[in-house]
Amino acid sequence: MRHGFFIFLILLGYAVPCFAQDTLPQAEELYRQGRLSMALSLYEKALKNHPNDPFVYYNIGNCYFKMGSKGLAAANYYRAFKLNPRDPDIRHNLSLTLASGGERLVPTGVPEVLHRAFFSLSLPELTGLLFALFWLVCLYVCLWLLKRRGRWVLLITGSLLVICAGWWYARTEQDNQPLAVVATPVAEIRSGPGTNFPASASIAQGHLLTIEDEKDDWYEVIVKSQSLKGWVEKSTVEKI
Amino acid sequence: MRKKIAFLILFLLFTIPAAAQVLLTATTDKTALTLDDELTLTVRLSGTKGNLIMPQLPSLPAFNVYSRQVNQSSINGNNTLLFRYTLLPRFVGKTTIGPVTFNYEGNTYKTEPIQIRIYRDSSAVQNTPIQSVSPDGNISSNQEQEISANLPPLEYSLATQASKHREPFFTIAAVSNQNPYVNQEFTLAIRFYYSQAFYDAPYQKPTVSNLFLEDAGSVDGTQSINGVLYRYQEQRYLLMGAAPGPATIGSATVTYHVSMSPLSALDRFFGSAMREERKSVSSPISVNIRQLPSGQPASFYGAVGQGYTFHASVQPAKVEAGEAVNLTATVRGPINLKSTRDFPFPNIDGFKSYPAAAVSGNIPGANNTIQSYKTFKTVLVPVASGIYTIPPLEWSYFHPGKNQYLTLTTQPLSITVTPSTQTEKSFDFAANHTIGSGFQTLGQDVRYLKTSYAPKELWLAQLSQWKIINALMLGLVACCVLFASFGRKSLSQRKAFTTARTKLKKAQAETEVAEAVATYLQEKLRINTGSLPLKEITTALAKKGVRPATAEAFSLLWQRLDAARFAPAELGAQSTMDLSAQALDVLVLIEEETK
Repeated sequence: MRHGFFIFLILLGYAVPCFAQDTLPQAEELYRQGRLSMALSLYEKALKNHPNDPFVYYNIGNCYFKMGSKGLAAANYYRAFKLNPRDPDIRHNLSLTLASGGERLVPTGVPEVLHRAFFSLSLPELTGLLFALFWLVCLYVCLWLLKRRGRWVLLITGSLLVICAGWWYARTEQDNQPLAVVATPVAEIRSGPGTNFPASASIAQGHLLTIEDEKDDWYEVIVKSQSLKGWVEKSTVEKI
Repeated sequence: MRKKIAFLILFLLFTIPAAAQVLLTATTDKTALTLDDELTLTVRLSGTKGNLIMPQLPSLPAFNVYSRQVNQSSINGNNTLLFRYTLLPRFVGKTTIGPVTFNYEGNTYKTEPIQIRIYRDSSAVQNTPIQSVSPDGNISSNQEQEISANLPPLEYSLATQASKHREPFFTIAAVSNQNPYVNQEFTLAIRFYYSQAFYDAPYQKPTVSNLFLEDAGSVDGTQSINGVLYRYQEQRYLLMGAAPGPATIGSATVTYHVSMSPLSALDRFFGSAMREERKSVSSPISVNIRQLPSGQPASFYGAVGQGYTFHASVQPAKVEAGEAVNLTATVRGPINLKSTRDFPFPNIDGFKSYPAAAVSGNIPGANNTIQSYKTFKTVLVPVASGIYTIPPLEWSYFHPGKNQYLTLTTQPLSITVTPSTQTEKSFDFAANHTIGSGFQTLGQDVRYLKTSYAPKELWLAQLSQWKIINALMLGLVACCVLFASFGRKSLSQRKAFTTARTKLKKAQAETEVAEAVATYLQEKLRINTGSLPLKEITTALAKKGVRPATAEAFSLLWQRLDAARFAPAELGAQSTMDLSAQALDVLVLIEEETK
């Protein structure tokens, strides 16, 4: 009896991921048939088993894009981009979606090559590179302390470590910056957290917002592309 | 033969529904009246197409046809005609209005005959059960009724106000809703009651504030109030609150003329009777306009009411790339939709979109009600072949009864676009983006789904997991720093005696012995023998814990070494070994005493 119970548990353990795997081809088939909302619900279910899979976010973004919800599409592409910034498809779809809302992935004035270089590694990869350089510098410090040798190599690796640390800091700051995207056709920006404050602007779906603060059902946001600061209802935006 | 029968059946199938669509009805507002009174005969003709065609009235020997009004409306080319004839009775007695006939596409349509009784005075009329037919087709009893609280608010208010009057002429006004929301439509009815004949009654409509007012037509009717038979003229308006807050409806004034002498049918034609001008004024009405609740959905465009429908269609559903498709969305409802904001069509991938101005209007609805509609249209031009799906469109309204926003959604629509058979220039949408010959950008779309998951990261990402190594490395560096600062010193000190002993054993000359001793003192005791005189060296040794006897022995050794260094003589190997042995003995003593 006990054996049977354990075998059942083991089978269940295998069956659950198998079921989750099966939903993805099914979702793709639904997407191909144009049954987007059903495909979307399957991808969102799959996300529970693949919480850090950039390609699941990418596919969710595609579903939203095809359903006309460009704001939600942009939010999911952005999540995928954070996890896998080198993927050309993610970059393309995110750029296209942001462009439809009047936003740019590469900030104005920044060369495309520099932007691509800055996002050539994901944050865990960049952290790994930082660690590796740190360990190398430590080893060379020890060598120099014990043997008084390898001074130039130590200087070069130390300089690389400083540069990498700066890069890592900038990426971490950017990744930790709370962003949101307008998810409804239009969001109103008000001068305070309430409908009793006058609306100063309306902003279309797909615009990127930087969240500065929050109060009840409202976010204080900055629209960098428009140099605008104000409050929007939480229900009108999707936090990335 | 079989084919002929089949054709005949098909022909019948097509012709029967076409014929069945034409409807002709005739009604009167009463079936009993006095000689002073007038009768309204309403003929309703619906389902015809094309030009206005008049129905044929029967012979009416008992009446003079005083006036005729025609109202026409059209839906999808189908006409609905309403003919109102005012008939003046000529003789007392029982008469029949024969069938009204209408010839259309070879068919003749007839109405049922109507029996009418004409009396000399009104007392007889009041004893006769009268069925009046209001112009909107609803049959109601003219006998006095108790005012029921189940009546609609507008009817209840009118009935309550009317019951308070006994004078032969009076005007009342009522609204269907005292607390409407902004943009919620409600009705204002102004009734001018009269129980005596009068001449023309010019009507002055009321002034309103904070309201939009639109004419909704007029109706005539008959009502018995406190035992007196009244006729009334009712003018209706559709009102809509412009902004939250109080709104007012001013008095309506009816100016009428009454005859100073009994009125005969002849007087009506020649206007020979003496007249007096009088005015009847309704009471003003105050209304409170309520603000709509918050939480309006994005697809809310200002409609407030109930009974809306929303549907969309594409025409045609199969086109070539570059050909136009009309995407139409229509909202219908019981209230005026003119003031609602236009529905914005979403951008549809794969199509160039050319929106057209929205069209709104009114059409007759079921049960002779007025339906409002608003049609939004956009022309879509597909840029490439494929099967496209127009996503469901959403339109929301506020339901005052349920006090919530409701959203209507259309079905997804499919458009099949085949490759264009036209030349390239005929739909050159992206001429500016042409790159090279034979290449044309048709549009941009997101890239297709990812079918493989969990992409592999660089090995660097794995390193980020090994945070413990950071601590180990820092520990290693700390150890190295400690060793470099303290460990190296003690190690060299420990090694000083061994090194000196090895050197002394291998020494071939006195200078090597001297160097071994000097190096020992330098590394072990940090005494620089090169710059210090012997006395200071022995003092330094004493400070390091060397006993005086050993210091004396060192003095002797040092003098001998000085002599060997500065006054070298030809000494043999035996002498060097002695010197080396003496130095070793001294160093052993110093080593023991400075531990």
